[in-house]
Amino acid sequence: MTTVGIPRALLYYQYYPMWKTFFEHLGAEVVVSPPTTRKTLTEGASRVVADTCLPAKVFVGHTVSLVGKCDCIFIPVIRSLKSKTYNCSKFLGLPDMTRAVVPEAPPILEIEIDINRGKRRLYQDIYKLGRHFTWNPLKVKEAATAAWQSLLDYRELMYRRELILPQAMEEITGESQTGLNMILKSQTVPPTTIGLIGHAYLLYDEHINYQLIRRLQQYDATVVTPEMLPGNIIEASVNKLAGKAYWTYEEEVVGAGGHFLESGVDGIIGIMAFGCGPDSLMMDMVHRHATRQKTTPFMCLTLEEHTSETGVITRLEAFMDMIHRRKQKGEAVCV
Amino acid sequence: MGNLYVPCRAVLEQLGVDYVIPPVNSQRTLSLGSRYSPEGLCIPFKMTLGNMIEAAELGANTLLVPGGYGICRLGYYTRVQEQILHNLGYDIEIIQLGVSERKFLGMMDIIKRVSNDSPWRRILSAFRFGLSKLNAVDQIERIVQKVRPVELIPGTANQLYTRAVQAIDNADDYDTLKRVKADYLGQLKHVAINEQARPLIVGVTGEFYVVLEPFSSFDIERELGKLGVEVRRATFISGWTKFSLFLNPFGINEKSRIHKAAYPYLKRDIGGDGWESVGEKVLHAKEYDGLIHLAPFTCMPEIIAENIMPSTKEQMPVLTILCDEQIAKAGVLTRLEAFVDLLERKRRKQNDQLRVTV
Repeated sequence: MTTVGIPRALLYYQYYPMWKTFFEHLGAEVVVSPPTTRKTLTEGASRVVADTCLPAKVFVGHTVSLVGKCDCIFIPVIRSLKSKTYNCSKFLGLPDMTRAVVPEAPPILEIEIDINRGKRRLYQDIYKLGRHFTWNPLKVKEAATAAWQSLLDYRELMYRRELILPQAMEEITGESQTGLNMILKSQTVPPTTIGLIGHAYLLYDEHINYQLIRRLQQYDATVVTPEMLPGNIIEASVNKLAGKAYWTYEEEVVGAGGHFLESGVDGIIGIMAFGCGPDSLMMDMVHRHATRQKTTPFMCLTLEEHTSETGVITRLEAFMDMIHRRKQKGEAVCV
Repeated sequence: MGNLYVPCRAVLEQLGVDYVIPPVNSQRTLSLGSRYSPEGLCIPFKMTLGNMIEAAELGANTLLVPGGYGICRLGYYTRVQEQILHNLGYDIEIIQLGVSERKFLGMMDIIKRVSNDSPWRRILSAFRFGLSKLNAVDQIERIVQKVRPVELIPGTANQLYTRAVQAIDNADDYDTLKRVKADYLGQLKHVAINEQARPLIVGVTGEFYVVLEPFSSFDIERELGKLGVEVRRATFISGWTKFSLFLNPFGINEKSRIHKAAYPYLKRDIGGDGWESVGEKVLHAKEYDGLIHLAPFTCMPEIIAENIMPSTKEQMPVLTILCDEQIAKAGVLTRLEAFVDLLERKRRKQNDQLRVTV
């Protein structure tokens, strides 16, 4: 039986249930690399040039940790999921970059998803991926349908039942993620709602964001994430804030940001990686709107491997203090 | 960007459009641009924003900017820049030349719009005149690249080049243009050169903007010329217009050779010029002594290229220089000198080995 390795980084968070279903239907075994640790990050950072972004370094680190544990590694290339949108070069060059910097890696399974090339081409690409496991197109089709269904279920869990991504993942795959539901201690502060915006690979990787969600829950804050919003709302606010969508994965920043600005959350925290191309533009867009609107506090945390935990905590504490004070005073305008 | 202003001025002048050309890129342009840009953006964004502000100061109310879908972040820049300009209080409209989607026709439509509906005949002839100016400038630049490292009196070629660009810029009709071009080509031919010299050949590749805009890369080509190195570069604006505007829609792609070379290491277009950078290294590994890879700091496609380059089978020394507003000229020069020393030593070693075997 073939073992397919999946690095626990980048698109893993959004698509793992789908990939798992697909490969398991085709009779393969799926291995995921263990959660990010300091070692993963150091290993990844030592392989690539210094100005590669943090999530890509984490990705390389995870790939290295999969070497020897699987027969092939699955790295999809996602160019666009909607017509005329475009993705960051890092996603497009991911398999090639990995091959170049991790020469000892097992063969890489690639699939290029580009809606602009038409449905037919998409189906062909999916079949080509399935060909590694079976010659039977019907079996591939069945696997793909099941995979699609599990993705829909997964998303539904998040936006209907408002589960935070790792909880949803746990429920659907039955694999324990790190214990996000464990709340350390509650403090006596007024309950708040905090909107988090940013890519899933930053929001839910507890090592690189210093357990941000858990820390927020300690403050008795209800965390709302971009995955909890239905697609049409996100799309509407993308159009409002940034004009026609240009990026494949930026709706989770602009779309969610735009929605949170209007839906009356108590504060918004944006998380981006240093040197992230799309985010440098889109986070700025949200920031600009928040500044103009002057009603919702907005804080942007930029992460890189030199970010210190204390720095993040201090900023988070100050931000939460500000929100609590504001809540107690009942001010409408943030100063 | 580079000498692009020459043909643009020609087109707009012929059409009688009221235009301003922002001042040549300077430290002020860069400071203005980086002060108002989000910090994580690359130097082309900051420079062009600086240009826009300077143009607005001169009273421009419409800006023409090339851009479009699918070319890294660049396709999105104008939308953000427009917002920044509005926040600064400039009432300005940005027209994006959607060159990557509609090629020549899209560009023509927009030229027609800004020229207050001039007749097509006039637009086309103006455009043709602009193109021939562009070709003339690039032709002269190619010769200058060859003369620079071997001239006996340093600086001659550079002087001629500056004068030639100015003369071409001033030429009003085809006759003058032709005369000026022939004149300078002749003068360049007669520059005293060292016939015996076998200069090192270094390729310059990387991101379009920093390669073509001397200010952002500290005029790296001139500096290399001073060190006695011949520069080869595949990116010229005239080449780009020729293929992107006219031939690509017919399926002729000058880059297919480069893409084919890069294919074993990078299988697809990753936006920007990343694919080409890898391809150039593979393609010219035997021909060049070394390669200088220019990229703006935080440029996404070039980072991927930079990661892939060292792993190619075709070996060639590559020096990656990241350009941003923090970079210092002395630092770049030191690195260039060290790189050239390294290449010289490598060549000497190869020659010694040859002698031994003979």
